[in-house]
Amino acid sequence: MLRDISLNINGKIKTIRVEESKRLLDVLREDFALTGTKEGCAIGECGACTVVINSDAVNSCLVLIGQCEGVEIITIEGLEQNGELHELQKQFMEKGAIQCGFCTPGMVMSAYALVQSNPDTTIEEIKEAIEGNLCRCTGYTQIVDAIAH
Amino acid sequence: MTKEFEHIGKPVVRQDAYEKVTGKAKFGDDYSFPGMLYGVMVRTEASHANIVNIGYADISSDEITICDHNDIQGSKKVGAIKKDQPIFCYDKIRNSSDVVAMLVGEDERKLRKLAGKVKVELEELPVLTDSEKALDKESPLIHPEQESNLIVHYPLRKGNIEKGFKTCDHIIDQRYTTPRVEHAYIEPEVVIALPLEGRKGVKVIGSIQNPYTCRRVVASVLDYPLTKVRIIQAEMGGSFGGKDDTINVLAARAAIAALKCGKPVKIKYSREDSIRESYKRHPYVMNYKVGFNNDGKLVAMKIDITADGGAYASLSPFVTWRTVVQATGPYELENVHTDVRAVYTNNPYTGAFRGFGSPQPIFAQESLMDEIAERVGKTPIEIRRINGFGEGSVTASGQTLGQHDVNLVTVMDEAVKHSCFDAKWQQNRLEKAPDFQIDENAKTNFILEHDNFYPPESMKRKGVGLATSFRGCSLGAEGIDAAAAYMSIQQDGSVYLLSGLAENGQGLRTTFSLIAAEVLGISPEHIHYLEQDTGIVPDSGPTVASRSTLMGGGATKNAAEVLKNRLEEILVSHWNTKGKGEILFAKDEVTWTEDESRKISFNELCNLAYSKGVSLAAIGWYKGPNVDWDEETGQGAAYFTYVYGCQVAEVEVDLSTGEVYVKRVIAVHDPGTVINLLGAQGQVYGGVTQGAGFALWEEVNSYNGKIKEDNYDQYLIPTSKDINNIEAHFVEGKDIYGAWGAKSLGEPTLELTAAAIANAVKNATGIRFFNLPLNLEEILLNRKLKPTDLKRGSTN
Amino acid sequence: MIPRLEIHVPEKMDEVLEILDSSKANCRIIGGGTDIVPGFHIESPRFAGFNKLVDINRIEELHEIRENDENIIIGAGATFSQIISDSIIAHKVPLLQKAAHGIGSKQIRNKATIAGNFVNNAPCADSVPALLVYDASLRIQCADSARVIKLEEFLEGPYETNLQPNEIVTQILIPNNSIGLAGDFYKLGRRRAVAVSRITLGLLYKIADNKFDEIRIASGAVTPIGQRFYEIENFAKGNEVSDELLRTIAIKAGKKVLDLTGLRWSTPHKLPVLQKALYNLLVKNCLK
Repeated sequence: MLRDISLNINGKIKTIRVEESKRLLDVLREDFALTGTKEGCAIGECGACTVVINSDAVNSCLVLIGQCEGVEIITIEGLEQNGELHELQKQFMEKGAIQCGFCTPGMVMSAYALVQSNPDTTIEEIKEAIEGNLCRCTGYTQIVDAIAH
Repeated sequence: MTKEFEHIGKPVVRQDAYEKVTGKAKFGDDYSFPGMLYGVMVRTEASHANIVNIGYADISSDEITICDHNDIQGSKKVGAIKKDQPIFCYDKIRNSSDVVAMLVGEDERKLRKLAGKVKVELEELPVLTDSEKALDKESPLIHPEQESNLIVHYPLRKGNIEKGFKTCDHIIDQRYTTPRVEHAYIEPEVVIALPLEGRKGVKVIGSIQNPYTCRRVVASVLDYPLTKVRIIQAEMGGSFGGKDDTINVLAARAAIAALKCGKPVKIKYSREDSIRESYKRHPYVMNYKVGFNNDGKLVAMKIDITADGGAYASLSPFVTWRTVVQATGPYELENVHTDVRAVYTNNPYTGAFRGFGSPQPIFAQESLMDEIAERVGKTPIEIRRINGFGEGSVTASGQTLGQHDVNLVTVMDEAVKHSCFDAKWQQNRLEKAPDFQIDENAKTNFILEHDNFYPPESMKRKGVGLATSFRGCSLGAEGIDAAAAYMSIQQDGSVYLLSGLAENGQGLRTTFSLIAAEVLGISPEHIHYLEQDTGIVPDSGPTVASRSTLMGGGATKNAAEVLKNRLEEILVSHWNTKGKGEILFAKDEVTWTEDESRKISFNELCNLAYSKGVSLAAIGWYKGPNVDWDEETGQGAAYFTYVYGCQVAEVEVDLSTGEVYVKRVIAVHDPGTVINLLGAQGQVYGGVTQGAGFALWEEVNSYNGKIKEDNYDQYLIPTSKDINNIEAHFVEGKDIYGAWGAKSLGEPTLELTAAAIANAVKNATGIRFFNLPLNLEEILLNRKLKPTDLKRGSTN
Repeated sequence: MIPRLEIHVPEKMDEVLEILDSSKANCRIIGGGTDIVPGFHIESPRFAGFNKLVDINRIEELHEIRENDENIIIGAGATFSQIISDSIIAHKVPLLQKAAHGIGSKQIRNKATIAGNFVNNAPCADSVPALLVYDASLRIQCADSARVIKLEEFLEGPYETNLQPNEIVTQILIPNNSIGLAGDFYKLGRRRAVAVSRITLGLLYKIADNKFDEIRIASGAVTPIGQRFYEIENFAKGNEVSDELLRTIAIKAGKKVLDLTGLRWSTPHKLPVLQKALYNLLVKNCLK
């Protein structure tokens, strides 16, 4: 069923009319052209679609837009503020934490949720925060390194 | 070397890092076009059948367009070597993922529902899944137009094998197997075909590993000249060799549909589609018989390998050729008798995958080396020192190694040093593991006896193992080996660069930019790497075989040097420097060694060139030296140069459960000159992690030709928690080839890990395992357990 | 593909009950959606045949974790992340905390709810053995009534529970008499993270004078549904804690599981490992 949904995406209130059983992932990519959020598995196993909803890292492939009225969503596109990259983004670049880049947005969002709630993290906490983000290129080493800095 | 490197060998941030870290990088699915339609595949339930009829009566509708083999003007079957893979099946189904038609329309949801309503009338045929039975007379023929199910057979004969076995002190005869493995790039396949206006042809955008191969396939299917097919590579969400044949077939299907409908057509695969239809790493069955003397010296090796090629040949002939060259490992042997065969079955087809026919024999041969060491009372290091290649060694194919540093023992020493291998290995070996395996023949129905229990702390065992390899760089005698790079310097000193080899996520754009920047003495930031487009640079062959840095780097260096020479010539007359001193390009400036006042910024110089009408555009070219191969005897100089590596794995094995945890991997590689240190380290970490997955978990099973492990809940790849620590070290050997001797790294990093882990598990448990992956059941039962049905959630 | 569905997002419990009452089998409750949405994707028959979803995430009382004189009360909609970070759970129901930690990934734990874990009654639901050893009960409501039922009675068979289409699980009740027992939770997966359980074990015990004053053992993923081992518990109670006894307990558990499952494809690995893992868990905790 079509429904009007208002939600806060990257700090701005947006309202759209949309089929309510559409996945949040598809709404972000198709209706808001926020294509930084990726689809890798559609069953919540790979984490490429991770966004932050009300401070928590969440797989946007498992959320239906009809559940999202009034929520606050941050996507990868929301991290750069006034032309300034978030510290995590800078570290990902500098530490070589990026190869093909497909898992990167989801990975950064999981890391973002972690550092927002706990700025002083251990390596074990970092590995746990990204355990649901599969990466096939990097072997995670430089990613963990980037988040630790 | 006359000057220190300015950029080469330093840790450098990737060129595309900003776009990728902000979500702005555009991957295939991030493109959409007005009026775009979608394509959905029609498959059958069969793994092997003759197609009697395809009935569309129940789905005819104005809203959809049906594409099948009747829409093909050109080749109905394609393939890199054998043209055996249909774009749309019309005579036979050879594998469960085969596609008979594609439905095209606006609403993917509707198309998926309709796809189930196409009535494909089939005459089922016996299904062949056992590769070792493929050549039996009674086995069904997968491609009846071919004489047998043999895709290719490579013999290699050196010395006298019979005599070798007669004269040696010991013989070990052993069989090893490795599984079918999925590339598991995180981005599933996407292609979009756009019909161009009028008779201009078609453009295809997508996650395409080898744009030139793709162009050839699409053009042959459409019966178009190559120039009317333009392939644009989107950002690649990983490939590892995996986005070649399958994506080319998808590109052809999309192109057919786009031209038929006159609209852009996108094919976007779900993870399940991707795993079911894409090709895999070849499962190998390997029989190794080796003769050796009391002093540990190898005398003779007889190898018989069968690679399961699945339903289509794909790159099987190239993959297995690398196997035959490298099957004896980096060891000197007088007598070798190798047969490698790839065969057709009804299993998922197999092709290129990072490693390319090497991880399998390395697992076998490195397991074997440790067994030989044990038999003659040597350590793993001693046995490899006795037999390992050095300067001037002769390979199994009769090639003498030279013109580069043969660093096998050097990398091993380095790895041993960083890991304290010897002490740990001896210590673990002394502590005997309790008898932990499950006796399936005991008549207790798996109920334990009181004396089957041991103190929990005694059940966690540490082990350390190593593996070494040599690897031929680039294609070798597999194919024509040359690459191009296009460079155009603008009047303001900024530079366009594009190589005919393609970025697959590995960081090739950055590597080439660094090489160009080094030659021109400018900052890499001034280099703008263009999008991969088959309309610009000459065909440079495929981005495979870890050949990009070597070949594309060579071509880039050549282009930069050509243009640098032109700039120099301008200054020779402008400054009148002829015959005196040297003109230096460094730090965005050009200077003359004879007169400090002679100085010009790089951009001013380019402007000067422009005003003088000097062309600053060039196509650089790098052609590999000749290699040769005798198909009958397997003798010849297979590759023009080689790289060497050694990895040490430290594991902890839980004898109660069969869990193997990788605590540490020390990887030492000689890739020649390192161009980008950050990128090189990333290759090691990623390759080792994939190698660990191959060692411990990853396996795509064929259940009568069908795949159960079709998503990441069933196909397990390593997570951030599965490997504790990886260390990368480089030994930069000298070589006369490539850009400053920069060679290969991507594949060597993966090929050693499983072998090192298997040797570490042996060190921990006292038991040798012969069949990958070393999963829970393999460790405790020496075999795999398979669910009895295909239902999801029935994995317990 | 996600079917076209009506989605209700009520803020009050009464509304939930009303929707359930009026739509019955046409409606499913969605909490975290971590089972139901993948179920849609693979077109699982277990997630078909309804056209309405009622989202319970905004019902505040379903997220509460609190205690009263008799019970620790866990709202059915509490997420696993919430359970992991809750201090009552950490102090008084630590096995549940440990079990929650091993479930899915961070993203999954942020969404998946405790009741969602067991209302589908998948054999590998990790919360089940933990809750079984705590003798958990469930509070279930429908429009006109409420009832309390023991978890093990609620779990009827593989993927089958005693829940009626018009009902909702609202609370998990952990009786106070379970609190203060020492215990541990064990999970075996194929990987270190995001792994479906091959074996889970819950253990609670109290040792006095080196005898088992109390012992409770439950397993998951090895039998068709999560299981308590009462006979073995009764056998062990009052006995001297010895290495010999712990071996006997492990073997008895193996025999019991074999009785329940017969020989299955996974038995040659799982059954011996179950016995060894239980023995290891018992030794680690009980043998000083």
